[in-house]
Amino acid sequence: MRPSNDPRNTRLAPAAVLLLLAASIAFAGCRQKLPIEEGTLVVALSGAPSALDPRIATDAYSEQLLQMTHAGLLRRDAGGGLEPDLAASFVARTPTEIVFRLRPGLRFHDGRALTASDVRYTFEWIRDPANRSPHRSAFGPLESIETPGPLVVLFRLKEPFAPFLTEMTRGIVPAGTAARGYAPPIGAGPFMVADVEPGDSVTLDPFLGYHGGAPALSRVVVKFIPDSTLRFLELKMGSVNFVLNGIDPEMLPEAAKNPNLVVEEAAGSNASYLGFNLSDPVLSDPRVRRAIAMALDRETIVRTLWKGKADLADSILAPAFWAHAGGLEPVPFDPAAARRLLDEAGFRDPDGDGPATRFALTYKTSQNALRLRIATAMQEQLRKVGIALDVRSYEWGTFFGDIGKGNFQLYSLTWVGLRDPDIYHLAFHSGRMPPDGANRNRYRNAEVDRLADAGRRETEPRARKAIYDRIQRILARDLPVFPLWINRNILVRDRRVSGFAITPDEDYSQLRNVSIRNSLPGSAR
Amino acid sequence: VKRLLLDRLIHALFVSLGVATLVFLLIHLIPGDPVDVMLGESAVPADKAELRHALKLDRPLAAQYGDFLLGLSRGDLGTSFRSREPVAREILSRFPATLLLACASLAVALLIAVPLGIAAAMRPRSWIDFLCGTAAMLGLSTPNFVIGPMLVLLFSIQLGVLPVSGHGGWRHLVLPALTLGSGMSAILMRMLRSSLLEEIGQDYVRTALAKGTPPLRAVVRHALPNASIPVVTVLGLQFGALLAGSVITETLFSWPGVGRLTVQAIEARDYPLVQGCVLFIALLTVAVNLAADLAYARLDPRIRHE
Repeated sequence: MRPSNDPRNTRLAPAAVLLLLAASIAFAGCRQKLPIEEGTLVVALSGAPSALDPRIATDAYSEQLLQMTHAGLLRRDAGGGLEPDLAASFVARTPTEIVFRLRPGLRFHDGRALTASDVRYTFEWIRDPANRSPHRSAFGPLESIETPGPLVVLFRLKEPFAPFLTEMTRGIVPAGTAARGYAPPIGAGPFMVADVEPGDSVTLDPFLGYHGGAPALSRVVVKFIPDSTLRFLELKMGSVNFVLNGIDPEMLPEAAKNPNLVVEEAAGSNASYLGFNLSDPVLSDPRVRRAIAMALDRETIVRTLWKGKADLADSILAPAFWAHAGGLEPVPFDPAAARRLLDEAGFRDPDGDGPATRFALTYKTSQNALRLRIATAMQEQLRKVGIALDVRSYEWGTFFGDIGKGNFQLYSLTWVGLRDPDIYHLAFHSGRMPPDGANRNRYRNAEVDRLADAGRRETEPRARKAIYDRIQRILARDLPVFPLWINRNILVRDRRVSGFAITPDEDYSQLRNVSIRNSLPGSAR
Repeated sequence: VKRLLLDRLIHALFVSLGVATLVFLLIHLIPGDPVDVMLGESAVPADKAELRHALKLDRPLAAQYGDFLLGLSRGDLGTSFRSREPVAREILSRFPATLLLACASLAVALLIAVPLGIAAAMRPRSWIDFLCGTAAMLGLSTPNFVIGPMLVLLFSIQLGVLPVSGHGGWRHLVLPALTLGSGMSAILMRMLRSSLLEEIGQDYVRTALAKGTPPLRAVVRHALPNASIPVVTVLGLQFGALLAGSVITETLFSWPGVGRLTVQAIEARDYPLVQGCVLFIALLTVAVNLAADLAYARLDPRIRHE
C-alpha cells in the first residue's frame, strides 16, 4: 500500500517546501534600516569583562571598559609614561613621600564631589585583606595614605619604590561604595554606564561633568562579540563601527575594500618572545640560543602569517616605550652562522643536510590556530639548521601551568599590558622564579639582579632609564628570551568616525575625543 | 504517574549528586589554579596564600567537598570568584536567553522536520524523499560554525534583513535558532520518516484507508501518534542539550546564554560558577527527560500501566 497513490497528496511535499520558503521571504517584507542611530558609536570587544570594578577587575576587557568609565589620579601618555588625570599635579617630596593635588571641582557620575577621601577609600579598600582584591600585592610597599587637605593625598612608602606610581592609574570610586552587598561602583571617567546586559553589551552615556570636557558622542554601545568572523560581518553591515585589534589579519584587505570602512594602523606595545628553559642542558649554552635565534626567519613569518601587521622586536619593551633602549644589536637571520655556532657548541649534524638531526627540542604553545601555524613555520626553519622541533599544543590553563612549573624546553608567549620596566625584576631576577615571580626561563645573572633591584629604588627618571638600558643590553647578549615581534594595533572603523588616536597600549579612554558625522557623503545610508 | 514522578525524583537526586561530585573532582584535578588566574604572575606568594585561604582553597579537598554539599543542601551555590555575584544569580540572569533560544530552535526543528518527515514517509524513494534525505545528510554533517556564518552572509549581509549577532528583539533570535534548529531537524526528520514507514505498513492504517480515510488524514491522525514515541525520546534528549546552552552557537552569535557562561567559568577556573553551571544543566536534563517520559505515557497508554 502506498498512501501517495492518491493524487491529492502529491502536492503536499512541494507545499511544505513552499511554506518554508515563504517563511524565509517574509523576513524580507519587514526590511528595516539596521545601522546605528546618529551620534551613537558601536564598539565591539572580543570578549565580555568579568567585573566592572577597577578595584577587582584584572582581565583586558574589563580594563578597556574601565578606561572609559573610571578615571585615576594619573593616566598613561603615548610613550607609556605617566601624566596627571584627576590629579592636577604630583610630586615626590622625598623618595618615600608622594603628594597628589587633585583638580578642584571634580565630580563623580552622580554629581557627588570627588575628594581626597574618595582616593584614600579606593586604595584602602584594595589594601584590606577582607576584600580579596587581586591588586593588593601592588600596595605592599605602601606604609600609609594621608589626606592633609580635601584635595591633597599623601602616599607614604616604606622604602623608595619607583614602580608604585603606575598603580596610580587605577580608577577612583566614591567612598563608601559597596559597604553592604556588592554592586559595580560608579566612577569619574568620560562615560557613565547607562545599561548592562551581562555577556552581551554595555551602554554608555557621555558624562557631561567630565573634567576634561564632555565627550562629543551621544552614546557608546560596547558589544561583546567573541567570534572574529562575526565581528567583521557586523562592521561590514554597519551595525558595529569601531573594532580595535579584533579583526584577523587575513580579513583586513576585505575591510579596506569596503567604501564605508577605514583601516588604520599604528605601532603596538605587546611583544611576543621565544622562551628558553635555561636549566635544560642543551639550551643552557648561550651559543645554542643564539643559533636558534639566527635560524628563525622572523621577517618571513611576519610577512606571511601576520600579513605584515607586526614589527620585529629587539627587546620585550616596545620602541615607543620610554624605557626602551636604543641601538640594541638586532639578531640577524643567518642560517649558515647558526650552523657554525651549533658546531662550535659541540652539536654536530651527523649527516649534513640529511634527515638526522643535531638534537630535538619540544616547543609548547596554546591551541590558537595562528600560534600553531607560527610554530610549524619555526619547525621548518629550525629543521634547516639540523634541529628537530616537536610542536605540542595545549589548552591554555595546562600550557601556562606547564610553563610556570618549568615543564618545557621552548615556548612562545606575549607580554600583554606591560606598564613599567620593573618587568625585568619580575621576569629576569634570579629571586623571582615561579611561584615567586615570572622568571619562567630560570635566568640567573648577578648583574641583572643588582640592576633590577636598583631600578626599583631609583626614582629619578633619567637615571632609572639608564639602568634598564644596561639590562636590555645584557639580555640582548644572553638571550634568556628571544624577542620576536610586536603586533601592530589595527583599528577598523566606520568612515564617519573621527578623532581617535591609537596609542601603543590601546587606550580606549581616547574615545572621549571621538565624534561621528551624521551622513556619509555619496552613500545611500 | 505518581509512582513514576517519585521514582524519577529519587533518580534525579542521585544523578545530581553524582554529577556534582564528578564536577567537583574534575575541576579541582585539572591543571590551572584560580588564584594564579585571578592574581596574575606579579603577585607575591604571601598574597596568593592569603587569597587561597580567603577562598578556602587551602583546606583539604574532602573538607571543601563537605562545604560544597552543605551549601547545596541550603540551596546556596556560592559566590563567583571573579564577578563576586552569587552563582545562582549569574546563572539565572543567563538562563532566559538560553531558554528562549532552545524553544525557538525546537520550534524551527519541528516546523522543518514534521512536514518533511511525513512527506518523505508517504512517498518513500520518491524525489521528495531523496531531497529530504540529502538535505538531512547535509544538515547533519555541516557543523554549526559553518551554518551560522553562512546564514549571516545570506540574511544579514546579502539581504540585509536581520542583525548579525547579539541579543534583543525577535530579529536577533532568528539566525541562531535557524542554525541550531536546522541541524536538529535533520535527525528528527529521518527518525520520523523511518518510524512512520513502519506504522504505515500496519493493519490499522490499512483499515483506515480501506474505510475511505484520505491518506494524509490516515497518516497524521492514526500513524503519527504511534510513530512519535522514538521521536519524542530524541526530542527530549536534544532539548535537554539545548537547555545546557550551545557553546558554539552562543559564542558565534554573542548570545548571552548559559553555555558561554560555563565556558568562561572554566577558563577562569571559577570553581563555584563551574559547579553551579554544571549542576544546573544536569538538573535541567533530568527534568526534560522526565517530561519526555510523561509524554510517552500520554502517547502510548501501554507505558502507563507498566
